[in-house]
Amino acid sequence: MRFRTQLRDSRTFSKLTASLSSLGKVCWMRLEYEVIRFTIIPDQGTQVWASIPVGTIFDDTTYELESNSDAINIEVNISVLNRALRSAWGSTHTQLRLTKKDKTPLLALTVLSSEWTEGNMALATNNDADGFGDDRNPEAAPADTTGDRGPRERQTWITQEIPIKILHESAVEGLHEPHCPDPEVHIILPNLAQLKSISDRFTKLASTDSKSKQPGVMAPDAPGMHSVSFSGAGASTAATALSTNSSPKLELSANMHGSLRLAIATDELRIASVWSDLVNPPLDPAQMSQEQMSQLPSELNRKREASEGFESGWAKVRIDGKDWSRVLSIGRLSPKVVACFVNEMALVLYVYLPGNGEGEESCLTYYINSFTT
Amino acid sequence: MTSLSLSLGPPALVRLHDALICLSKFSETVAIEAEPDILRLSALNSTKTGFASFAFEKEVFFEAYSFKSSKDGRSGSVSLDRFFCQIYIKALLSIFRGRIDKNKDTAVERCDMELHEDLQQTECRLTVKMICGLGVIKSYKLTYEPASIQHAVFDKSKATSMWTADPRFLKQLIEHFSLSAEQLDMYSDSGRAVFTSFTTKITEGKEVLKHPVHTSVAADKRDFQEYWVEENMHVAINLKDFKAVVAHAETANATVTARYTRPCKPLQLEYQFEGINAEFTVMTRGQADSEDGPTSTRATIPRQTPAPVPISAVRPRDTRPSVTPSTQMPPPPPRSRSIRPLTGSSTQENLSQKASADRPVASGLSMEFDSLFVPADDDRQWDEMNEEEEPQDILGWDASGTQDAFGASIRNAEPAFSEQNGSHAEEPDYEMGLPPTQRLSQVRQYGLFD
Repeated sequence: MRFRTQLRDSRTFSKLTASLSSLGKVCWMRLEYEVIRFTIIPDQGTQVWASIPVGTIFDDTTYELESNSDAINIEVNISVLNRALRSAWGSTHTQLRLTKKDKTPLLALTVLSSEWTEGNMALATNNDADGFGDDRNPEAAPADTTGDRGPRERQTWITQEIPIKILHESAVEGLHEPHCPDPEVHIILPNLAQLKSISDRFTKLASTDSKSKQPGVMAPDAPGMHSVSFSGAGASTAATALSTNSSPKLELSANMHGSLRLAIATDELRIASVWSDLVNPPLDPAQMSQEQMSQLPSELNRKREASEGFESGWAKVRIDGKDWSRVLSIGRLSPKVVACFVNEMALVLYVYLPGNGEGEESCLTYYINSFTT
Repeated sequence: MTSLSLSLGPPALVRLHDALICLSKFSETVAIEAEPDILRLSALNSTKTGFASFAFEKEVFFEAYSFKSSKDGRSGSVSLDRFFCQIYIKALLSIFRGRIDKNKDTAVERCDMELHEDLQQTECRLTVKMICGLGVIKSYKLTYEPASIQHAVFDKSKATSMWTADPRFLKQLIEHFSLSAEQLDMYSDSGRAVFTSFTTKITEGKEVLKHPVHTSVAADKRDFQEYWVEENMHVAINLKDFKAVVAHAETANATVTARYTRPCKPLQLEYQFEGINAEFTVMTRGQADSEDGPTSTRATIPRQTPAPVPISAVRPRDTRPSVTPSTQMPPPPPRSRSIRPLTGSSTQENLSQKASADRPVASGLSMEFDSLFVPADDDRQWDEMNEEEEPQDILGWDASGTQDAFGASIRNAEPAFSEQNGSHAEEPDYEMGLPPTQRLSQVRQYGLFD
């Protein structure tokens, strides 16, 4: 068993691990010849299955992998890995390899960090006095002269040894991505920074007033307080059930005509944000025949005339506000996100990282369960 | 009768505050020692493995300094020319916190401290007077208690290894270590100075993923201003202490010198600046020499370490108790926490504060979308939001009902709540509170207001 590679893009790797670590600590990392897979299956909440081509984060030319089963499965604390990768920021030479120390398997990250240093002029003068270079201009001094205190490249080696667990192939055989029915709606999400910011605000507003609220103080039919209220069908019936849950649930819905609606409702407030003119991407014709495709619920929804009413063809899911916030942390990699809505059941996000446009794309798949009312 | 009086200018006040912050990382109480030419503040940690001391010189640091003593001092002063007492650091810190804002009219112009101890008096206090602008004087009286003060003794002339380095460079080294790391091992290996963080936590065999990360940083000797260290001699100290020292040295921009001899003997970190002499004596661990006696091969904390020489009482330095606390994860150092807000939403908070400062008259519209603007390179906005650690969003409104006022009141309300500990005299809207929205008669029927 052997794994050794240079990092090509430690910043992307670091951001990726940062986003993954918000969902869970234990990450199953599967190293294959072409792709690296990251999977996090928390006890509750969203699970993520990521498949990243080797070349996205590692340097293909130095990538070495040897294993009897053509893959190495390891379990790693992803936040620890993320923290360790911070040492690699700005470094040109970073190596990651599998090793062992006192019978504990480790991922060893070796970083050569170089930075320009101004040196210390006071001591440079001392050196001159010692006769190291009497009238030499410190700026022009060769950088690698021993004892030189002038401006030069400072080199520091950093080693981070991250304890891991090696998983046998049999231990991961039973793990599969969840199966979902065909989605009713698929749509490209708007700018994630904006979406996250609004979602977080909604979640906070809802949790603020559920905390401050005393049961029975509010009139049963509290009028929609003000500003942005809407009267969505079913929203008022949902309100009571929502507020009994510990954490606020967001309602996310979309249709095949480019609209996405984010809403939250409690006893005291109902708010919604609506995006329109988003893109409902066409399906890849290579995957299935025209015939099959036209029977998919999403394509049927697409064909519905807009004249059938704006409210038609919506698919809705109810998701945990905090969990959603964690999922959206992937936005730091500025990806393209296709959201697939299975009405009242699940939301599946396909997250495509910006790539170099050639070869396989990096894709993370998030499976988010919808809460029932 | 013993009397001490001193005056500090604003820069010295900042320095004193910084020193107290640093001392607070070692102990809850600060020992104050007055001598005719010097005022020393020191702290010894609970396991007696770390001793921090700041000596302020009479001539340089203070605007005025006078100390008179007599034989009958009751606070443990055994010699003629000394006075000792100890004070709860938090009490002192709360006086100096936030008093150093130069822009305010009422900024502190001078700080006078006085202490008179007289056996005839029943009440002896340390009096602190902040002389502020516009004739404002803030006075504080603090209780203190007598103390037997211990000093860690360190003989610089016997040190066999030493290095000197810039605090910013040391900070860069520290930043690589994981927040939960507890110990720092240092040694020299063929031209490189190697710093390794480790944790002596005993972990269950099964929980491999909870094992601590070992981080080692190898820096070129040339990055040190001086480096005279015995090859391959491992010396380990408490990382938290080291972090505290480096953090303070960085604020003072003072070059740090470390001196030590062997593992399990004390190590001293020292620097001087602006009439302040800072010394930190910490115990080291590591594989002690054979003549020192420990038989165990792993890193041990031997009992037979040189005891500090207390001035009034002899207490052997026994480092053994430190094992117990070190099995727990130490909290991340407060400093790093304050530098890096943990939540994306606190970034928002800062932003909205900034926005309101830039544009005092915020329109209702801009209020809606301010928080959506996020700097492109700020990675923290993506972190999970955490509402427990910060004030909640507060929905407020103005009774006047005009659109502009509505927006402005919300803008102001957020910063006001986020700095509840500071002064909120500038937020009159906050002081107003919320006007009632319903008549009492309307809600009587619910039976709550009978």
